Amino acid sequence: MKTRIKELRARYDLTQEDLAKRVGVRRETILFLEKGKYNPSLKLAYDVAKALKTTIDELFIFEDDQNG
Amino acid sequence: MKDIKGILLGLGIVAAVIVTLSFYVLNAGNIELDEIFPIGIVLILIGSAMYILWDRIKNVKKGLPAQDERLKLTNYKACSYGFIASIWSAVGAPLLSGILFDYEMPGHYVTAVVVLCGGLTFMVSYLYLAWKGK
Repeated sequence: MKTRIKELRARYDLTQEDLAKRVGVRRETILFLEKGKYNPSLKLAYDVAKALKTTIDELFIFEDDQNG
Repeated sequence: MKDIKGILLGLGIVAAVIVTLSFYVLNAGNIELDEIFPIGIVLILIGSAMYILWDRIKNVKKGLPAQDERLKLTNYKACSYGFIASIWSAVGAPLLSGILFDYEMPGHYVTAVVVLCGGLTFMVSYLYLAWKGK
């Protein structure tokens, strides 16, 4: 899974900590989301998308598992 | 408020463990070599617990939550690994001690192994999973 969190965060001039405060999570969670290392719950995905004034499908890019 | 209560509870537990360990060490007289190993594990557990609490305090001071959904998930995973390690050590410790050293392990030793094994597995897996972000 890829995300556009970093790109949108830069657009709104937000630090990881600012976004974490808006969403109500720890800064490391934003870092792992940006790196695509953590799959968020639907609620967290919605909260992050709302904080970045976008939608979930624009924020998270899901790649089909070709082996699955 | 809930975060602060959790941190205070954690600090209380760490303080109680330190006091208990201090009483044990002060009254034990000469500490034998086989006692140093479990004391070392307890010290590692205390150190790790203090690190986790410090990390939570740092986040609360910044206005961030002490625990979020990722850390709750990490906590559940680490708890289940600790539980599995406890179960296996309860069976494996007396068995291995019998096979390797031909020594029948007393019940209180098995209890200590179960607690320390479970605790150490929980701490190691918690810190690893929190660091990896999984």
